[in-house]
Amino acid sequence: MTSIQKNKVFMGLLYVLVFFLLSEWLRPVIDLTETGHHQLFLAFVALGLIMAFFEIPWWITGPLKLVYILWFIVYVYTGNLFFTLESLGFIAQQASTSLSALLSQNWQATTDLFRTVLFFALLWMAIYLIHYWVSFRLSIFLFYLLTVIFVAVLDTFSPYSGDAAIVRIMVIGLLLAGLLHLARWMERHRAVDKTEKLLVYSVPLLLLLIASTTVAFYLPKADPIWPDPVPYITSYSGQGGSGQGSVGRIGYGVDDTQLGGSFVSDDTTVFRTEIEDGQYWKVEVKDVYTTKGWELSDEKADEQFYRNGEVVSTDFPPAEDGEQTSALVDIQQPFPFVLYPYGTASFLMEDTLEYRYDPVQQRFDTLQEGETFEPDVYEVFYNEPTYSLAALQETELEALAELPAEFDRYLQLPDALPERVEELAEEIAAGSTTVYDQARAIESYFGTGGFEYSQSDIPVPAEDEDYVDQFLFETMRGYCDNFSTSMVVMLRSLDIPARWVKGFNEGEVIDTVDGYDVYEVTNNNAHSWVEAYMPGVGWMMFEPTIGFTGASDIDFDLEIETSEPESDEMPERPEPEPESPVDESEDAADAAVGPTIGERFIQFVSDNIGKLIVATLGLLLLALMVFKVRKRWMPKVLIPYYRRKGGGSETFEKAYLRLLKQLELYGIRRAPGQTLRSYAEYVDSFYGTEEMTKLTAVYEKSVYGGDSQSVDWAEMQESWENLINRTSG
Amino acid sequence: MKATERLGKVIDNIEKVIIGKREIVELSLVALLSHGHVLLEDVPGVGKTMLVRALAKSVGADFKRIQFTPDLLPSDVVGVSIYNPKDMQFHFRPGPIMGNIVLADEINRTSPKTQSALLEAMEEATVTTDGVTMRIPKPFFVMATQNPIEYEGTYPLPEAQLDRFLLRVKMGYPTHAEEIEVLTRAQSIPPIQELEAVLTLEELLKLQEEVRTIRVDDTIRKYIVDLASQTRRDPYVYLGVSPRGSIALMKAGQAYAMLKGRDFVTPDDVQYLAKFVFGHRIMLRSEARYDGITAEELTERIIAKTHVPVQRLVNQ
Repeated sequence: MTSIQKNKVFMGLLYVLVFFLLSEWLRPVIDLTETGHHQLFLAFVALGLIMAFFEIPWWITGPLKLVYILWFIVYVYTGNLFFTLESLGFIAQQASTSLSALLSQNWQATTDLFRTVLFFALLWMAIYLIHYWVSFRLSIFLFYLLTVIFVAVLDTFSPYSGDAAIVRIMVIGLLLAGLLHLARWMERHRAVDKTEKLLVYSVPLLLLLIASTTVAFYLPKADPIWPDPVPYITSYSGQGGSGQGSVGRIGYGVDDTQLGGSFVSDDTTVFRTEIEDGQYWKVEVKDVYTTKGWELSDEKADEQFYRNGEVVSTDFPPAEDGEQTSALVDIQQPFPFVLYPYGTASFLMEDTLEYRYDPVQQRFDTLQEGETFEPDVYEVFYNEPTYSLAALQETELEALAELPAEFDRYLQLPDALPERVEELAEEIAAGSTTVYDQARAIESYFGTGGFEYSQSDIPVPAEDEDYVDQFLFETMRGYCDNFSTSMVVMLRSLDIPARWVKGFNEGEVIDTVDGYDVYEVTNNNAHSWVEAYMPGVGWMMFEPTIGFTGASDIDFDLEIETSEPESDEMPERPEPEPESPVDESEDAADAAVGPTIGERFIQFVSDNIGKLIVATLGLLLLALMVFKVRKRWMPKVLIPYYRRKGGGSETFEKAYLRLLKQLELYGIRRAPGQTLRSYAEYVDSFYGTEEMTKLTAVYEKSVYGGDSQSVDWAEMQESWENLINRTSG
Repeated sequence: MKATERLGKVIDNIEKVIIGKREIVELSLVALLSHGHVLLEDVPGVGKTMLVRALAKSVGADFKRIQFTPDLLPSDVVGVSIYNPKDMQFHFRPGPIMGNIVLADEINRTSPKTQSALLEAMEEATVTTDGVTMRIPKPFFVMATQNPIEYEGTYPLPEAQLDRFLLRVKMGYPTHAEEIEVLTRAQSIPPIQELEAVLTLEELLKLQEEVRTIRVDDTIRKYIVDLASQTRRDPYVYLGVSPRGSIALMKAGQAYAMLKGRDFVTPDDVQYLAKFVFGHRIMLRSEARYDGITAEELTERIIAKTHVPVQRLVNQ
């Protein structure tokens, strides 16, 4: 027992702080799992800490805690305030259910009650652990650090907001750590008689803490240096796609504000569909370009609600001539929305629900009684819209100036957009006289301008760079996001309203059922493309990404025969790699014949010099920290090492010198003129042992006496281990 | 019987007479075992003579005493040749120096000439008179005393002479309790007369031989030389410890190790003995005296800052 423990007021203060720190763990866990009965859990923690504080023996505290857990279960699950026969029967029955489920390893069948008990057991252990840390080790830093990390991680990856919690944790943790440091210091310097004044000594600590917290609280805070790490991590962990606006981003409302960067392919199935012809599946659109990516404007529009079978109204009404067809969609990912093809008329699903359509975002969210609903299988009725070529040829440039104000947001461009983007757009569109021709010219520009489709090694624009500008003029390689965003920006710079669409392309045919093709759409098919407004005609989709075949259905109804109508008939882009947007094998081939390994290494280093420096510094720092705390982990390494080594005097001498170093690290310094024997006596008096003197006598005999034959390392080992273990404390 | 047990018996024997001076007894034995001599520096009446007599009796050695006075002549020390008219020959009458254990009392009271006669005998263990050199019987051990208080009419020993003594020790007064015990014993018959030898001279000579076999590791030798050379470099020091001082420390260390039952010398032995061996061999500058630093204190400082060897020397 440490003498500090005798100062009950001080220890009490520590336990109160520990209680608050523990409750910071409990709060998010209870919140996130929607557990409820927060107070009763806190009461359990308090009970445990109070009993630990008063050092009540385990044979009292153990049963007491068990009774509390049972009471909690009875109260929460049966509503009885007291143990009744009925409630005890309930517990017995639940216990047997869980036990049999446990024995048959049927984890799903274990009951909530069982999980509650497990949770209590966890709390119990946590209380004991912290009690040990505080009372015996007089050290809380590890737990404190874990708490901070825990809350930070939850804040980042879950809906829990740790803004207030992190401040509370900082204050409580620093106070606790400071007080314990003080206690440790007193313990080490044997200032036991002064423990009465501990509280007085901690006043400066308290003042300092209050002052620094206040200052820190009111100081201005910098914005996060890094973008939200979630999309980045999910794109690598399999949620994201080999491309474009990954599913994870769409499904979980993650933003596209930071485009760029490489992707790995991911063939997780997103959905399967039985359909006549492959279609592009739209999820949503975005309208504000930020020079780095896309955001949704805060434009408000009346949300429309539709029921099963009701005809929906979108910017792409189904074609009037011809029959509607239907597609059966089997979604395999938990999306709270439905994907829809162009010309959608209505949706049908077994479940009763509402489809909420937001005309700004253009996404069909699925709701059931006001809650988000994740559809499983649905049928969508559609008729792909067709566009009259004649009408498209009538889209006059002058009409653009007369568009109503609601189109303004589709003409938005950031002020920082470099002028050369606009100049390029004008140059491309120079020969075209209609809006449609201009849009087509830009769409096909990417097929001719030396652009390359690639998913790897795509940079993220730096602070002062523009995503589009970087792609058009510097890298000229990228995937759908690069192409579609660039086209939208260039269209806008020509005053043609345009927006950015996220969704999936048609996928791959894997089967045929009743004349319908079965398409499988995976994360690799995640895609983005362009919608532009043709005055007098309406919205129309464009596909600028090279290698992709999606196109609006054009009705070639031209009455005036021109000398070269053919040139306008088809999507004109050359198709270097039809049907195969994912071309990593080719990339690999390119790399093989490209620069040598040495050059690539140099290239890699020069590309990532910043990251490398940061990583190196980080590693150095880590190494330094590990080195700094070596006295804590060295014995754990040394003991097995010397245990395995065996041998005689040579091992012993090395081990003894190691021990000297460890003792030095521990803080028992040997003056240069101090002999080993007097040092050993000091060490033994410090630890209350006799082993150092014993080891030293043998060492002296071996070194000064030259009698290394008589040393038996095996005999000395236990004493040595005992001492070296003490140095890690 | 092992060496340390025999020596332990001697110490116990002496302690029957001398109370509470175990350290001095041990140091005397150290000097005796390593063919050295001791300079006892203290006021009269603290038991110096008693110590030497007890030592002599314990080892069955011949005890002689010389009281040095200003008018003592060298021949009074080493002996004199007297003409015997009967056979018309000069016969050498050995002086008091020709004993095994000699107490040279108040050595600084006599003239340098007489002092040097004694010191030559101490160093060489021989005596030369009228061109004839005679060996002093072994073992030969001189314990000289000098009174540090009186300066009037004294001839302080020159530094070179001091070097001949292996150790310089100060006896000091007994503690209060010890002194009471001394009185109690003094009341009855003086115990010195009942003291019996516990060691023969032959055994003592054998032990002296044995001391030479005590191991002095390279690290220890290096340590001794480190310490000695530190005394030569110290700013307070006018004249540092000579190589003879280093040898003395090593030999004393060997004897002390044997006394402690070890067959090797440790840095602890060296540290313990250094102030007795170096104390009278260091000549301090006057600055040291102004600063109130004695040679013993200086030795301790040097010990504190010199690195103790803790590792085997590698490739040296």
